[in-house]
Amino acid sequence: MKNMIEIEHLNKSFGSVKAVQDLSFRVKPGELFAFLGLNGAGKSTTISIMCGQLKRDGGTVWIAGENLDKNENKIKSSLGVVFQNSVLDKSLTVYDNLLNRAALYGITGRAFERRLIELSELLEFKNLLKRTVGKLSGGQRRRIDIARALFHRPQILILDEPTTGLDPQTRKAVWNVVEKLRREENMTVFLTTHYMEEAADADYVVILDSGKIAAEGTPLALKNRYTGDFVTLYGVTKEEAEAFALPCEQVNDGYRLAVENTAAATQMIVKHPEIFRDYEITKGKMDDVFLAVTGKSLKGDEES
Amino acid sequence: MRELKAMIQRDTKLFFKDKGMFFTSLVTPLILLLLFVTFLGNVYRESFENFIPAGMEVPEELLEGFVGGWLFSSLLAVCCVTVAFCSNMLMVQDKVTGARADLTMAPVKKSTLAFGYYISTALATMIICAVALLACFLYLYRVGWYLSAEDVLFTLLDVFLLVLFGTALSSVVNFFLSTQGQITAVGTIISAAYGFICGAYMPISQFSDGIQKFISFLPGTYGTALLHKHLMRGVLDELEGAYFPSEVVEQIRDGFDNNLYFLDNKVETSTMYLILGGSILALMVIYVLLNMGKQAIRRSK
Repeated sequence: MKNMIEIEHLNKSFGSVKAVQDLSFRVKPGELFAFLGLNGAGKSTTISIMCGQLKRDGGTVWIAGENLDKNENKIKSSLGVVFQNSVLDKSLTVYDNLLNRAALYGITGRAFERRLIELSELLEFKNLLKRTVGKLSGGQRRRIDIARALFHRPQILILDEPTTGLDPQTRKAVWNVVEKLRREENMTVFLTTHYMEEAADADYVVILDSGKIAAEGTPLALKNRYTGDFVTLYGVTKEEAEAFALPCEQVNDGYRLAVENTAAATQMIVKHPEIFRDYEITKGKMDDVFLAVTGKSLKGDEES
Repeated sequence: MRELKAMIQRDTKLFFKDKGMFFTSLVTPLILLLLFVTFLGNVYRESFENFIPAGMEVPEELLEGFVGGWLFSSLLAVCCVTVAFCSNMLMVQDKVTGARADLTMAPVKKSTLAFGYYISTALATMIICAVALLACFLYLYRVGWYLSAEDVLFTLLDVFLLVLFGTALSSVVNFFLSTQGQITAVGTIISAAYGFICGAYMPISQFSDGIQKFISFLPGTYGTALLHKHLMRGVLDELEGAYFPSEVVEQIRDGFDNNLYFLDNKVETSTMYLILGGSILALMVIYVLLNMGKQAIRRSK
């Protein structure tokens, strides 16, 4: 299979609001694909269409080699979704929740118990099985959400802002599991996130703005295209740094200069080796890419 | 079938574990019991005594059997519908919490989910009504037992049908709800109003002519009347045979809804069953059509 997800000319409107406009993209098997955008950019609408929860106005959707119009149930079997907010039954225990959801995929009896052991070891929730979901912490609940999404061994894992509101340690734990799944099971991961550092680790990024693709590419290609490089000089005076006549800001123990690209930085080094005694060259960040592309900034789960 | 079984197990467990839903469903029967203990019991007793011809005495056991029969038939009639409404609120809560989206992510038919809600609601309601029915029989046994085996069997059938009716009605009404506010509003309206419009809180004969006519068009009324009939028949037969003339007993039957009239025509028991059964069937068909219609609309969007 060449592409795990293929979407062509997707359109969806809610009344006069065009939620998704002529959206086309592809996701390769085993890829970590990141969907970036502010609230209302069209991320959730696209996911809902892919999951068969919402009908589209136009366009085609192929997932895991199946056409959404013809084999919706097959597609559903190949998708595992971690929703932004936990949707498990809060009054029931972790065990009962997983038992019920697994049965909807035909997984019962010994097959259920075997998979439960696998997942409880992978996500470390063996000790939580008898606890009611409503009494779990945010991080614990998220692990159970992921277990529910993985129970039927989907080919594609859709993570809709999976780490929003989680502490850094739990976020790291969630990502370790996702990385392990990608490495060991070649699972395709479709991610929407507000955290730029998560998008920076993706294989491919699509930035959505007002329902349209504003930019797409690998994080490196996006950084090269939409942001310059930064040269940080250490052990120099303010006058020496400002002599380059480039945008300059003071950082800890040095000065950071914004340059057009890596080639321009190299030229500066060749021309002024006496200044470049201690330095580093870094690429722009995904925040800078997002700002450059959409004119809006997006930090953590806050928009500004 | 595995999927349907899983849905039924989930929904039923959720109802009994969700304290809010469970206790809310018991509010109306508890209010009725409270009203009975505080003053309604005396009102019924006095109403009954008004029918007794001067100079005639009725044993206490018979009087209590009559009042108990009325109370529990009313309580059961209300229970079957209000408990069904509360239990079926899960259908709406799943939309509110997002659980519905998660359930529909699985490759299960929408009809499986819809029937899961229906069967689990009927099951939970039957469990609660069975407990209420047991309490009813124990109470009547203590104060005055005049029920024949036939009455007991018909009472069981009445409760069964009324539960199916309440479940079908709540399925159709709840289908259109999607917010917590709507859940609260519908729950409150049903709890407050259903007892009146089905003839449980007070006999229909005590309403004005216009309201009586309106109520006679509601199918739930006939379910309540069936319960009144079967839980009070023994007492009234005993009265007729040993104490009162037939005309007086017939007046009592009219006064306490053992006889119901539709546009001045007396409705036979068999017709009442037909009305109730037909209503269940009609509501089920509407529920199925609504689900099919929703899918068709979703597809065409």
